[in-house]
Amino acid sequence: MPKTDVINGNKAAAVAVSLVEPDVIAAYPITPQSSIVEYLTQFVINNDIDSYMSEVESEHSAMSVLTGASLSGGRTFTATASQGLSLMYEPYFRASTLRLPVVMAVTNREMISPQTVWGGPQDSLSVRDAGWLQIYVEDNQEILDTIIQAYRIAEDKKVLLPINVCFDGFYLTHMTEKVEIPDKQDIDRFLPEYNPEHIILDSEKPMAVDPLTSGYLLMEYREKHLKAQQEALKLIEEVDSLYEGITGRSYGGLVENYKCDDADYVIVTMGSMTGACREAVDHKRNEGLKVGLLKIRALRPFPKQKVMEIISGKKAFGVVDRNVSFGWDTGIIYQEVKSALYDSKCYMPSVPFIGGLGGEDITIEHFEDAIVKIHEAYQNENNPQTVWLKN
Amino acid sequence: MRETIETLSNNKELISPGISACVGCNVELTLRTVMRVLGPNTIIAIPPGCMGGVGVVGWNKKSGANVPVFFPLLDNTASMLAGIKAYYKKIGRDINVVAFAGDGASVDCGFQSLSGAAERNDNIIYICYDNEGYMNTGYQRSASTTRGAWTSTTPVSKEKVGGKKQHKKDFPMIMAMHDIPYMATASPAYIPDLVNKVKKAMEVKEGLAYIHVLNPCLTGWGIKPNESIEVSRLSVQTRFFPLYEVVNGDFKLTVDIKKPKPVEQYINKIKKFSHLSKDDIEEIQNYVDKKWNKLKMSCVEGGRNDEQ
Repeated sequence: MPKTDVINGNKAAAVAVSLVEPDVIAAYPITPQSSIVEYLTQFVINNDIDSYMSEVESEHSAMSVLTGASLSGGRTFTATASQGLSLMYEPYFRASTLRLPVVMAVTNREMISPQTVWGGPQDSLSVRDAGWLQIYVEDNQEILDTIIQAYRIAEDKKVLLPINVCFDGFYLTHMTEKVEIPDKQDIDRFLPEYNPEHIILDSEKPMAVDPLTSGYLLMEYREKHLKAQQEALKLIEEVDSLYEGITGRSYGGLVENYKCDDADYVIVTMGSMTGACREAVDHKRNEGLKVGLLKIRALRPFPKQKVMEIISGKKAFGVVDRNVSFGWDTGIIYQEVKSALYDSKCYMPSVPFIGGLGGEDITIEHFEDAIVKIHEAYQNENNPQTVWLKN
Repeated sequence: MRETIETLSNNKELISPGISACVGCNVELTLRTVMRVLGPNTIIAIPPGCMGGVGVVGWNKKSGANVPVFFPLLDNTASMLAGIKAYYKKIGRDINVVAFAGDGASVDCGFQSLSGAAERNDNIIYICYDNEGYMNTGYQRSASTTRGAWTSTTPVSKEKVGGKKQHKKDFPMIMAMHDIPYMATASPAYIPDLVNKVKKAMEVKEGLAYIHVLNPCLTGWGIKPNESIEVSRLSVQTRFFPLYEVVNGDFKLTVDIKKPKPVEQYINKIKKFSHLSKDDIEEIQNYVDKKWNKLKMSCVEGGRNDEQ
């Protein structure tokens, strides 16, 4: 029988990992991720899980230890944030180009400067083109469920890519919520064993890993890597349904469509801000404005088709970004969504919003104002400059 | 000696013929020797550097070794190996997990991960081939370059001013101070000594074993190919590079040099020192003497005397 507990997001992540029981875990503490490492070391010393824990001297080594363990055929886990992810960038990129299904939680935290420790996905969004899969989640239950699903997605032979499960620092890492914890037997049935055939370091099967490689072969590698990302589009949806069969919980796969079908306007969100936005959508609907919410879950691969299906034909849309895209004068997700819509051959006004940086709150009122701005953009037939949601 | 010959003749060659190392390269000799001792139950990491560049990891679809071999990053060799060992330890398989890394990948940017692995007692064998700089990228200086040496980033003017201003980082001692179970220095001019040390490193089942080999680089330092081994031997006989080991904290010279030759004899064989003045050479001699005396004080017993 599944148990119910009241736990914070980091505990939810650690419990998910304990259900999967990776062979090797390596992690280095960083706010707001540290308690994930603490929970996992405790699980190991208590013999609750049979995993090898490496308390590395840096995030760079955390990813390097996992690269070695995964290359040997092991199942792995780590978690980090912000500066730790930046330090890890060198082996991070390579875990994906070696096609190693490493699973890593990112407790999203702003990048300095100015000095900060609070939430915001600028860290993982800045490495969105490093070849990893990235899923952004909204609450503690979704953290637990998505980390378990992440192994099934990453290790699938059609995909074989590392994956980030990203969630907002403090808003989720440190806030407690009711979380249902599945049975270990159910998870064991859900997750087949990982048996790598594509790459292995094993003295019984000698293989040269990464010999110096000419451009014509490297192009083949990149083409297959891009295709694997596209395969993941299907797989993320399939795994979501499969998991629903076991637990009764679905998150819509790539995106969540909240009241968009009959809507005139769509507001796009990602991560923990979504709950407040749902409220705002309901308020505005009560006032007669037909608005829907599109929550982006998968950022890599980007669910272009889904975004097109949901937004094209609407009167206007807006995107609330808890991050910035330097040089575009907007947030990152706004550019991604606009880019996806180009193929829909249907133009509509749109509004870029930026808010919640450095852990600032994005309130229900902010979202209500944002919805009004989207409505006005349609009425005025213009694309306003970025609207900053300030407190 | 007999045992060394038996080991080397009975064990299989595990490095591909035809790798493209420079004529007379003593790093290639070191690697081939080390791999014969380690045997096929080995996974070897060759970070970017000379041995990667000459094709030991392979080229396109061909492997350069008969064992699993890979390029770690320049700065994460020890931690990647730690991960490999962690997995094999967990599934209960004993396997040699070995680094063969240059000084750049070890004493400079790879130091953090190596120090971390040493402190955590990760059970890997780490062999550093020290050719005193980034030889594969065109002879740039590293922390392991000897004071006074010309490199492409410590150039020398027409007036013979320049060269590296700082002494070589004493990396074997730094590794010994990590209190790892086994630390040793070695030379391609003393093969039986090297073979013994690799065997001892293989016996370590808890913690890190580190071997530091001084490999004079013919191309980068300016040494005649036929003097490859002679210069290596001089580095030991002048006490410039003492051969010693540290077993669970106990220091021991494995080759004692009772009557050292002047360091000048070693330096005179090497073009990268050709601009040095008498005073410069004296400074290096003084440094060598001081280091030797300190090492002697740490040693519990002397090694085999090697006078020539």
